[in-house]
Amino acid sequence: MISLPDLLMPSRSGRDARARRALATLSRQASALRSAPRVPAVLAPKGPPAAKSVVVGSAQKLNQASGVLAFSVLTDSALEHYRGSFRNRAMFTPLVVSTLALAASVHGTADDRPDVHVARDVVFGLTALTGLIGTGFHVYNVGSRQGGYRWLNFFYRAPIGAPMAIAISGVLGNMSERLRRTPRGTPPTLYGLDAGKALSLFTALSLAGTTGEAWLLHFRGNFQNPFMYTPVTIPPASGALLADAALRGGASRRSAARAGMIATALAGLAGTGFHMRGVARMMGGWRNWTQNLLDGPPIPTPPAFTGLALAGLAALDLLERRDD
Amino acid sequence: MSDKILTNREPLRSGLDLEAMHRPRARNGRAPDPHVPGGWFPMREHREDEAVDFAIVGTGAGGGVLAARLAEMGFSVVAFDAGPYFRPLEDFASDETAQSQLFWTDRRVTDGENPLKLGSNNSGKAVGGSTVHYAMVALRQRPESFRSRTKQGFGADWPVDWREMWHYYAEAEEALKISGPISYPWGPSRPRYPYRQHDLNAAALTLAKGAEKLGIKWTETPLATLSAPRGKSPPCVYRGFCRVGCSTNAKQSMLVTFIPRAIKAGAEVRDLAMVGRIETDKQGLATGLHYHRDGAWRFQRARNVVVAGYAIETPRLLLNSASDRHRHGLANSSGLVGKYLMTQSNVAVWGEMDEEVRWNKGPPSLAITEHWNYDDSKDFFGGYIHMSQGPLPVEWASVHTGARGLWGKALQDEMAKYNHMVGLKMVGEMMPQERNTVTLADEEDQYGLKVARVTYSWCDNDKAMIEHSLDFMGRQLEASGARNVWRQPDDTNHLAGTARMGDNRRTSVVDTNCRSWDVPNLFVCDGSVFPTTGGVNPSLTIQALALRTADRIQALARRGEL
Amino acid sequence: MTDGLPRYPDYDVLRKRNTVSWNDPTRTAIDRRLAVDRDPHTLTEGEFATLQAICDRVVPQEQGPDLVPIAAYVDQELTLDLSLGYRYAGLPPAKEAWHRAIAALDAESVKAFDAPFVAVDAARRDTLLTRMQKGELKDPAWGDMAPDLFFKQHVLVDIVAAYYAHPTAWSRIGYGGPASPRGYVRMGFGMRDPWEAAEAHPGEEAKAARKNRNV
Repeated sequence: MISLPDLLMPSRSGRDARARRALATLSRQASALRSAPRVPAVLAPKGPPAAKSVVVGSAQKLNQASGVLAFSVLTDSALEHYRGSFRNRAMFTPLVVSTLALAASVHGTADDRPDVHVARDVVFGLTALTGLIGTGFHVYNVGSRQGGYRWLNFFYRAPIGAPMAIAISGVLGNMSERLRRTPRGTPPTLYGLDAGKALSLFTALSLAGTTGEAWLLHFRGNFQNPFMYTPVTIPPASGALLADAALRGGASRRSAARAGMIATALAGLAGTGFHMRGVARMMGGWRNWTQNLLDGPPIPTPPAFTGLALAGLAALDLLERRDD
Repeated sequence: MSDKILTNREPLRSGLDLEAMHRPRARNGRAPDPHVPGGWFPMREHREDEAVDFAIVGTGAGGGVLAARLAEMGFSVVAFDAGPYFRPLEDFASDETAQSQLFWTDRRVTDGENPLKLGSNNSGKAVGGSTVHYAMVALRQRPESFRSRTKQGFGADWPVDWREMWHYYAEAEEALKISGPISYPWGPSRPRYPYRQHDLNAAALTLAKGAEKLGIKWTETPLATLSAPRGKSPPCVYRGFCRVGCSTNAKQSMLVTFIPRAIKAGAEVRDLAMVGRIETDKQGLATGLHYHRDGAWRFQRARNVVVAGYAIETPRLLLNSASDRHRHGLANSSGLVGKYLMTQSNVAVWGEMDEEVRWNKGPPSLAITEHWNYDDSKDFFGGYIHMSQGPLPVEWASVHTGARGLWGKALQDEMAKYNHMVGLKMVGEMMPQERNTVTLADEEDQYGLKVARVTYSWCDNDKAMIEHSLDFMGRQLEASGARNVWRQPDDTNHLAGTARMGDNRRTSVVDTNCRSWDVPNLFVCDGSVFPTTGGVNPSLTIQALALRTADRIQALARRGEL
Repeated sequence: MTDGLPRYPDYDVLRKRNTVSWNDPTRTAIDRRLAVDRDPHTLTEGEFATLQAICDRVVPQEQGPDLVPIAAYVDQELTLDLSLGYRYAGLPPAKEAWHRAIAALDAESVKAFDAPFVAVDAARRDTLLTRMQKGELKDPAWGDMAPDLFFKQHVLVDIVAAYYAHPTAWSRIGYGGPASPRGYVRMGFGMRDPWEAAEAHPGEEAKAARKNRNV
């Protein structure tokens, strides 16, 4: 889903400034020629568009981001809710919803048509809603046991941050659909805000929240390995750089933020490796996988940072386009 | 070997019958590495005919800590243990019966009005001592406990300031990476525990539920088992066999913490080495000790001797070391060696829950309340904690037979409820009484040494505390939703006293440095020195006191007073 | 389920023997336990028969392949001179205590029912054992050993501990048995790891049995 060149290149359209300008001109002209009322994507005429817009490219990147997050949530909730023996039927919900979000994200990643896809849009909306409801369930779950909202229950009961990851996946998907709808020649917006800025700030906020979750669980693990500080330092710092680039602009701030996002994406992947090693270090190691996959460090969670970093990179593309 | 069920009738054997039980492992310049199957540490060895700075008898919570600290300070140290040197990963079975290999089961006689049960619940025989099979409960005594006579009106004062003890408590907690709550709800503020608390099992949630119903505070028990990895030790896997030895090394026993530290710092550990007698010269000073190893009696010369055999073996060794100059036993001019033996009451209430509890999962005591240690509106002296429980089947059956005399179908029906049972068990402060003693019986053990006779009777205050706790715990268990609640009114566990410390040589055996008043190169470093036993499990206090004793010895050495 | 006690149909803790719940030392220990020599080494044949008759009443068992040879474990313990770590002052060492108690019990049985203990029926055996527990037996064969103390410290301890150290007993009460290196994950109320015994809730016996065949 993510290739290293993808991560390292500033953006597909930015490889060559001249090509980018030409593309922009082309897109403005194309936009001016189009006057027909917008029709839903499913009804849109088939066939490749003349040229792919930057906005659609960013939308596709957002689909990658939402997809990585959905995959992380799917695998993590499958493990954690299996651990909880699916005592409540609602515990199947995140599996179903994140599977749909993952499918929609894959579909969106492959779809370079500049329009909203109704089914995808519905799925992402549902995904975001599920995340919010799930958060409510988890908040209730933490407080419902003896001791209520005390450290013990934050450590070991349903993690409050986990359903937020699926909500974020849904919001990113939703943003992707909104971006696709951007009329040619007009600056992209999201929920009435400049798209680059809105996505940057949302990503920065999401990184902060995910950092909080990582901090809680790594604090529970007493930061026994110095690398456990990685997810509580690099992502929030990168998120701050991203917010800074969005609010104050400038090529150097964008470069710094891009470096941060790349570092965050790599940290997410490295985290998976560390967590696999962590499972090996538990009593019985991988031979005791029926216990250690559940009790050891969760292997599916660190890629959530990678997903958010992809969203950050998409945001940087949009910022770059705005400021050029 | 592992996949073959033994079909041939083996010669009669019990449990594992490990080589380590019969032949010393720590020798030839190396000692077992408990973290690596078949692994070894290099170990410095000392000649028997050259006096070492310290010969330490016992490697448990007292001796193990002291050996490490003294070696780290640069003293030459040899530590003796009568038990084997295990590597838990390869030596420990998940089995109550086989793991009785950890207990001190040598011959001992008990009597008195309330004879003590010894062995599994208070006496270890292994390098690491009882910490190899303890329940890992790591608590601090409340400040007033160190001044019971002055502040609480009973027992005797400790010749130690509580603030000093609390400093060493913190050091011990750090050394063992105690997993405990972020903030502890009783007593003066203390630093955050080094590792986070463990999750609660259903048995512990039952305690919490009842406590909340009755409006008293509860918390997660501070435990010496890891909630996150530490070096080669993995975190606890909640197998629940803690009290018969931890086969994963998550338990931070002396065997996996201070003993490796001691060896690394240059101490020598001699396993399967039973010390039978401390030798003294004409001046009355200790010159070394006689010990039995490899089928023969041997002698190690030493400039100082530390006895750390716990409240029965310590007085037994001192009494067995009588000489012309010390006719009533070593360090016994006060006549108090072996007197003021204390145990802690360990009575319980048990009941049934409708839901499955499966209390054998996880460490046995994950939740605790110290309410009755800190509430002073009681009609008895002292205090107690109570904790959730999770006994394994053999021990659980012994509760039914011991406390209720059940057998036949009645016993089997009760046992069938195993997965639905819950319980609350207290650890309570019993009074120091001169009549509770360790003396020498007219019988000999396998080494030809006089065995200990342990005499114990409860006093009225003890009985009042037991009654109070049974009543309160019963109400709490019922409040948590348990049915058919019944009492186990007879159990005791930890030991203390028998070589009490004090400010006056006529009323104590050792001084504030834990040094004998009579023999200036003889120290005692274990629970025997406790003037009172407090209302919490004693291991952390023994460890803290050992850390303090090491510092005191270093200070004495610097002043040339050793 | 007529008595309302939990049941664990088809649960056999030995099914876990080759799983990650058992380590090598555990396999060795349990294999040795299962391969115990069924013949007495310390007690005479006659004493051993009486001991078996006592065991039958203290822990009644159904005849079958799962029968726990309790008396053999008690005899083994005496042969190895194993101890709990203490002895009440009123009791002689275990071996002597058992020899004396068995002889005394037979004497009591003959006195009360004109037949040795092995030859009287279950109800009479229970009567004698109950009187022993209450300290009501007075035959000179007891010597200075109190029958009630012997009952509490040996009959109940040695016999019951031997039975509940056996996998058959573990399976009966739904105990998870050995657990290393794999311990437990799910610790809350009503939570069961897939490698634990499943309790049969009314009407779901077949479901529990299926789970128990896959622990």
